[in-house]
Amino acid sequence: MGKLDIGGSQLDTSWFLLLGAILFTLGTVGVLVRRNPLIILISIELMLNAVNLTLIAFSRQLENIEGQLFALMTMTVAAAEAVVGLAILVDIFRVRDLEDIDDLSELKG
Amino acid sequence: MSYSVLALLILLLPAAGAILLAGRGWRLPRIVTQIVGPGVVWAAFVVTVVLFFNQVNGDFTYWTWIKSGSFEVPFNLLIDNLSLFMCLVITGVGGLIVTYSVGYMAHEDGPSYARFFTYMDVFIFSMLLLVLAGNFVFLIVGWALVGLSSYFLIGFWYERRSAVLAARKAFVMNVVGDVGMILGAFVVFVQFHSLTFAGVFRGLVHGCAPTLSCIFGPVPDSGMIELAAFLLLVGAVAKSAQLPLHTWLPDAMEGPTPVSALIHAATMVTAGVYLVGRMHPIYDVAVYAHGAVAIVGAVTALFAATIAIVQTDIKRVLAYSTMSQIGYMFLAVGIGAYSAGFFHLLSHAFFKALLFMAAGNVIHAMHDEQDMRKYGGLWGQLRPTSIMFLIGALSLVGAIPFVGFFSKEGILGAAFSRPGNLGLTVWGIGFVTALITGLYTGRMWWMSFAGKPSAQRPVEHPHEAPPVMLIPVAVLAVLATVGGLIQTRALGIGPSLVSDYLDRVVTGQSWEESSFAVYIGLVTMLVAGLLFLAAYRMRPLTARFPWAQRVLEHKYYFDELYNAVFVRTLDRAADVGFRDVETPIIDGSLAGAGTRTTWAASYASLLQTGYVRNYTLVFVAGAVIVAVLLLARFAS
Repeated sequence: MGKLDIGGSQLDTSWFLLLGAILFTLGTVGVLVRRNPLIILISIELMLNAVNLTLIAFSRQLENIEGQLFALMTMTVAAAEAVVGLAILVDIFRVRDLEDIDDLSELKG
Repeated sequence: MSYSVLALLILLLPAAGAILLAGRGWRLPRIVTQIVGPGVVWAAFVVTVVLFFNQVNGDFTYWTWIKSGSFEVPFNLLIDNLSLFMCLVITGVGGLIVTYSVGYMAHEDGPSYARFFTYMDVFIFSMLLLVLAGNFVFLIVGWALVGLSSYFLIGFWYERRSAVLAARKAFVMNVVGDVGMILGAFVVFVQFHSLTFAGVFRGLVHGCAPTLSCIFGPVPDSGMIELAAFLLLVGAVAKSAQLPLHTWLPDAMEGPTPVSALIHAATMVTAGVYLVGRMHPIYDVAVYAHGAVAIVGAVTALFAATIAIVQTDIKRVLAYSTMSQIGYMFLAVGIGAYSAGFFHLLSHAFFKALLFMAAGNVIHAMHDEQDMRKYGGLWGQLRPTSIMFLIGALSLVGAIPFVGFFSKEGILGAAFSRPGNLGLTVWGIGFVTALITGLYTGRMWWMSFAGKPSAQRPVEHPHEAPPVMLIPVAVLAVLATVGGLIQTRALGIGPSLVSDYLDRVVTGQSWEESSFAVYIGLVTMLVAGLLFLAAYRMRPLTARFPWAQRVLEHKYYFDELYNAVFVRTLDRAADVGFRDVETPIIDGSLAGAGTRTTWAASYASLLQTGYVRNYTLVFVAGAVIVAVLLLARFAS
């Protein structure tokens, strides 16, 4: 395992990966168990940033700039996703009296 | 203008009239229909007369219709003495009848009035195409189109169930013949590798296909040629209402009377005679098929004449007499006396159109009553019509000096003098038929016009028809009276214009008519004339043989037989098909597929809970599974 130089001290890459995995899992669980649409959106952001962390960690370890570029790309998409997601939510709130995301179950078979 | 353009014009004029009337006819004033409808037929008549007097002969090719490898069908019109003769009959008699219709159909409302003349013009166009076509393809096109226009016109009063049924019957019967024609054309093509008449006949005379170098003499008779001739005969028999495909013609009397006069007496039903005449090189070679033509004609002549004795509907009597007279024509062309047959075609067109239109005047005056038993005593009240009907009736019987005498004697004399048994046999049948003709015609005449008015007569004081209906009938009455003078060969003296004209195209009669035959002919017609008079007292006679009357009234049970053999069998097959195939198998499989899909979907739809987190869970689970599989793959 490679070491990363963080502010002069050395840290093992696996710590970053572990943190990314934890954040990602938290985000996933958040999406699955929370019913508040805003919290779900925040959880999605969490998952995206966990991925970003992983990408940057590998980028540093492999000394390859592509991972960081990819992270920038993800941020752009995340921003767009947040805009669209929030816009949809605002629209839904405008026409429907919504308590939580489970009220949107019209596609039930 | 060149003759080829004129020839095409004969066809195009009625077609143009039909298109005009079909498109705008009923929106235009009624007078337009009255002028255009008969006008285009007369115009075609004038063009035909121009070609006739210029003695035009030619095979005009306009363009190639189909070309595929060595197979080529041109659009060509054959103008010769035979086709011009037919065109004169079609446009001349047709023009008179269409003019007559202007009065006869006057009580129809606007759209129906225009529709009637559209159909009439379509018919004239189709019939002209039939006789002018220079190859088998267009012959068949015309052949089928006259059947179609006949269907339209028989079913003209489509509110009447009986008219619709009669139209359907005529169409089905005609299609049987069309199939025979088409198969015959196939056989001809296989044999001669050509579909133009010129190519086929050249092949017949020189013994090889026109594309090969011809070194042989005339082709000998062969199975293929006999087959082609018999198949063409099937077409001729169906179109001309000969045995055994005759049952449609009496029912076709459901159509308006001018239609009966034009299509079911003067022109369309004689197409079979024209076909045999046009195909004479084939029939001259195919001796068995040729003999069959004569026998079919003779048997039909007798058969139809006997039925006519007991019919009570005036138009049905005329229909059966038409079958009988066309039987004579078949007889004539069947024994090789082509010009005699065509002269009878011409004379029959005169007197039968005359009879039908005079009968139409009577029916008109009687407010559509057609039962002769309810007429009686019309002689005093409808004098002009009665006189003209009498002229037609005497011509039909063959009384001297009417046209029917000369034409019928021509046929019987030719048959009597012809060497061989066939001639004598068909002469015998024709002789008996001529006597029966006198009988039934007399019965029709006396029942309708003589005696006291029937108690059941619908109209006490009938009115004579308007001039537009009387004049065409009068013209035909004159023609039926003096028309015979153009061909008096029956008497051994005088001109023989028709046979001189036609013998340049068809095979001439190869034997001389004996003077003895002329005497026999004179006696025949004399006896027939006496029977015409004697028919006044015929009623008690038929009443003495009730079984015979019953058989004749049922027309020898042909309809019953066909119903039992064909109609009911097909109905039963259709029932089985509907009950055991259509409903359970075809409907069942389609409906079954639908219900099964709905049933499966009702279970599959339970997977859709509508909760976003459930979908996400499945998504995450899928991602985890893929990740595990990838790890497992890399680990190993």
